Amino acid sequence: MGHHKETFITKYIFSLDHKMIAKQFLLTGMFMALVGMLMSAIFRVQLANPGESSILYNLLPSNWVNEAGGLNPDKYLALVTMHGTILVFWVLTAGLSGTFANFLIPLQIGARDMASGFMNMLSYWFFAIATVVLMSSIWVETGPASAGWTIYPPLSALPQAIPGSGTGMTLWLIAITLFVVGSLLGGLNYIVTVLNLRTKGMSMKRLPLTVWALLITAILGVLSFPVLLSCGLLLIFDRSFGTSFYLSDIVINGEILHNVGGSPILFQHLFWFLGHPEVYIILLPALGIVSEVISVNSRKPIFGYKAMVGALLGIAFLSFIVWGHHMFMTGMNPFLGSVFTFTTLLIAIPSAIKVFNYLATLWRGNIRFTPAMLFAIAAVSTFITGGLTGLILGDSALDINVHDTYFVVGHFHIVMGLSAIYGMLAGVYHWFPKMYGKMMNKNLGYIHFWTTFICAYGVFFPMHFLGLAGLPRRYYSNTAFPMFDGLSDINDIITFFALAGAIFQVIFIFNFIYSIFKGTKTTKNPWGSNTLEWDTPIERIHGNWPGELPTVHRWAYDYSNPNSDEDFIPQTVPLKEGEEEH
Amino acid sequence: MTSILVAIVTLLVVAAMVQIVRVSELLAELKKEDVNEVTESDNKTQSILYLVIGFGFLVFVVWQMIAWNDLLLPEAASIHGAKIDALMQFTMTLILVVFFITTPMLFIFSYLYRGKKSNNAYFFAHNNKLELIWTIIPTIVLTGVIIYGLKTWNETMNMDLSSAKYIEIHSKQFGWTARYSGEDNKLGKSDFRLIDATNALGVDMTDNNSLDDKITREVHLVVDKPVLLQFRSQDIIHSAFLPHFRVQMNCVPGLITQFGFTPTKTTAQMKQEEGEDFEYILLCNKICGSAHYNMQMKFIVETQAEYDAWIAQQKTLGQKLLTQR
Amino acid sequence: MLSIKENRAKTQLLWIGIGSICMFFAGLTSAVIVRRAEGNWLEFSLPNWFLFSTITIIISSMFLIIASNLIKNNKQPTSYITTTFLLSIAFVYFQFKGWQELTLQGVYLTGEGSNVAGSFLYVLTLAHLIHLVGGIIALIFAIYFSLKKIYSKDNMLSFKLISTYWHFLGVLWLFLYLFLKYKQEGSISFVFNNILSQKNYICNLIFTV
Repeated sequence: MGHHKETFITKYIFSLDHKMIAKQFLLTGMFMALVGMLMSAIFRVQLANPGESSILYNLLPSNWVNEAGGLNPDKYLALVTMHGTILVFWVLTAGLSGTFANFLIPLQIGARDMASGFMNMLSYWFFAIATVVLMSSIWVETGPASAGWTIYPPLSALPQAIPGSGTGMTLWLIAITLFVVGSLLGGLNYIVTVLNLRTKGMSMKRLPLTVWALLITAILGVLSFPVLLSCGLLLIFDRSFGTSFYLSDIVINGEILHNVGGSPILFQHLFWFLGHPEVYIILLPALGIVSEVISVNSRKPIFGYKAMVGALLGIAFLSFIVWGHHMFMTGMNPFLGSVFTFTTLLIAIPSAIKVFNYLATLWRGNIRFTPAMLFAIAAVSTFITGGLTGLILGDSALDINVHDTYFVVGHFHIVMGLSAIYGMLAGVYHWFPKMYGKMMNKNLGYIHFWTTFICAYGVFFPMHFLGLAGLPRRYYSNTAFPMFDGLSDINDIITFFALAGAIFQVIFIFNFIYSIFKGTKTTKNPWGSNTLEWDTPIERIHGNWPGELPTVHRWAYDYSNPNSDEDFIPQTVPLKEGEEEH
Repeated sequence: MTSILVAIVTLLVVAAMVQIVRVSELLAELKKEDVNEVTESDNKTQSILYLVIGFGFLVFVVWQMIAWNDLLLPEAASIHGAKIDALMQFTMTLILVVFFITTPMLFIFSYLYRGKKSNNAYFFAHNNKLELIWTIIPTIVLTGVIIYGLKTWNETMNMDLSSAKYIEIHSKQFGWTARYSGEDNKLGKSDFRLIDATNALGVDMTDNNSLDDKITREVHLVVDKPVLLQFRSQDIIHSAFLPHFRVQMNCVPGLITQFGFTPTKTTAQMKQEEGEDFEYILLCNKICGSAHYNMQMKFIVETQAEYDAWIAQQKTLGQKLLTQR
Repeated sequence: MLSIKENRAKTQLLWIGIGSICMFFAGLTSAVIVRRAEGNWLEFSLPNWFLFSTITIIISSMFLIIASNLIKNNKQPTSYITTTFLLSIAFVYFQFKGWQELTLQGVYLTGEGSNVAGSFLYVLTLAHLIHLVGGIIALIFAIYFSLKKIYSKDNMLSFKLISTYWHFLGVLWLFLYLFLKYKQEGSISFVFNNILSQKNYICNLIFTV
């Protein structure tokens, strides 16, 4: 490790150190989470009080609000679009993978840094620029993209159909292209680092589950994100160069368009080929974190390590062949629908295995309730809740009446918005001491958890009933149909919990920032964990270990091993004489 | 003014939180404790909270199921819809059973195995038999669900349409129009390039089948008679959602999609069951722009006699053409 | 001097990146296959310029192989890499000529008279060209390193990476060329027959020139 003079720029801005890059991803992700959450607070207010004014609308550009002070319908759609885009890509992909893959992979495998620090730095800066481009679209005259985060053409291709499909949509496409490039640069690094830079003794079988999850996620990403680029490229051509890949037979605002021969369904096939693996790109790192946190805080090995790895691989493989379940109602050949129902319901099997293994890990454990553990258990709860409703949505015949209703909104928020976010929060609470050398305040953590847990289920569980009552999603207001009049109470409850939940997140932000500066100093291994990252100095140095890299002698889950008097045996501890490795 | 107020309040709240945290840290220092160490009493408190709030959540779920049951859609008003409802009952029961077993387990385990200094965790790293059990049982159950689901899907999608009435449903920003196929049950050809002020659906009037077609702004169906709805869109993707009949199909420009079904309950019957205000309704269910939330068309299911009376009053396109000249 | 581990890691980075690029083109070519099956697909013959560009890029790879052997004997292969670079410029020229001929044939990217079959061809070849530009820039770096006499048997990682990427671009182009030429018929035996007949054509071409 050469000694080079560090300036503010090389240390904090253009850092090549994976730990600093991880924090850059974390802070950007957290900032965008707040933006996305604020957007949801705003549109929930509209849903509870349709057409009325609200002080929250003062945060919006002035042309988003009409003379009466109410939110414009197309800007409502702009908000839900940006909310979805920000949370799916910026927070749950970059914020989750970008943070924890960058932070944990080199540390947990015993490497000095990623395979290419330069590519890693680039991956963050592509992401940062993408963020600026996306945010700038909010202040464009015609508004940001408004065709839903799924941007189906022709709506996303025609500014005449909705204003946000003009400049806003162009900026969205540029931002996503930059984002995907950044993601790919990161993903390449993660894979190559895990495959090549593991320290002596760190065989694949001794890898912590977190690393397995992050590796498999990266593989999913490099295989599926490029297809989003091809999908987007054809859309760019349709929008800006008059081609007809997705457009055909269109008369809009009295104008007959020249496009003939295009297929909007083609877009959906290409989009969802990424779109479905994307949700597992979001979920798998969270599950990897949950495995680690539950194991360490139960003082027990994760139950069924091999089965957990197998389940991750099974979910990853199956995730490539289920995309059609987002398209059951497009008029596809019913046989194709049957195939996708079959593959989709199969994915429930490895998911179930993971849930049962988590339960078995808790069973007869000696559970220590750190805030991280609370979130990890809640992640399992929401994975069960959200995953089960997937069985209904994945069944094509049942999807007929719940597709694009609040039933699916409830489902995906519970699995992504709750389970994956809880995994991310568990990760932040758990690895904060390693990232910043300080402890986060435990009591604030408890308060944050319980308020979030209660409010979150309060927001999303009722949505299932809205869906079963026939209420479609992406509706600016429910007042146009008498059949939905009885649902306004449910909408009020949801908005109440949404606003309350949003406000309580302040506790987390405060705790996070306060603890960085004024938190109590941590010890080297506050959680008594076996994995290698806790073997490094508290102050964190380039190259991670001050001397030689550690040698690994055992797997990561020797907690309460009866062969030893110790409560836990770190991976670096050699096997005793006659001791067999697990 | 509001923003200054908000800024001041935020600063005060932050200052208050800082003080609270500092006080608790100082107290802990006095007591020579680590303020952030998770103690046995913490474990007890949190585990009890998980038990209580966890079960509170389950009670909340049950409460919602009871309180809001009436708000859900009424029984399906079509033949295939009744089959879908049966499948839904089956699947919902299944997932509720799994939910109400595994979720309490999670909360109970959290409580039972809360950390105590006197305890030791049980080193239980794997058990192949258990893994096999909870792989095979879900597989068997899911196979059943898949087979049942595919059977229902097949029956829904492969309806016998030999005696179905063909009706085109045309969609655009932001409204629906219906075109009945007339006596020959054949819809005339259409072309988007023919769409203009007088020919909103772009019907090709040179096609003889168009002459007896009838364009209407609401749809009347005969109870217990099958109908095939053919969907078109002239601008962007819409989705025809008829929740009471369990019918949904995307309307895609450049493509004709279709969904066939048989309504089984008249509007009059539904008004008796659900209240005088009841109407069958067609909604748009795919984001389509600013008035997406208000794109609707009324559907009425009635007796053959009522339908005959209504359809007789609608002008054919051939007649309209004559009056235009 | 990079360690063996680092060598391997950087090579893997390239290969996985190549995998990603393949997925990008897989998305586009799948779109072609799916869309073609729906009908209203203009059939046209590929201008010969694309055959010339295919030959050119294959020859350019051969020069890089020679260059690689030179480096292994501790010689600087500047003129060979430069030849590859010049051939790459010829490739770009042939692509543009091909597009020009297509428009003369009435096959356009966009506009009233265009058909999505033509649009796909333009997009696919353009996408390849954009990736090729990256390769050309890399070649310039290789020429620079060669001029600075940096390459040697034990220090040729960057050259290996650049030439691997270059060969990939050639293979990718070959695949795209065959795909675009034969997607009309779509049967494997027909493809083989045609490759054979193309070989005769090439031989005739060489002999007559």
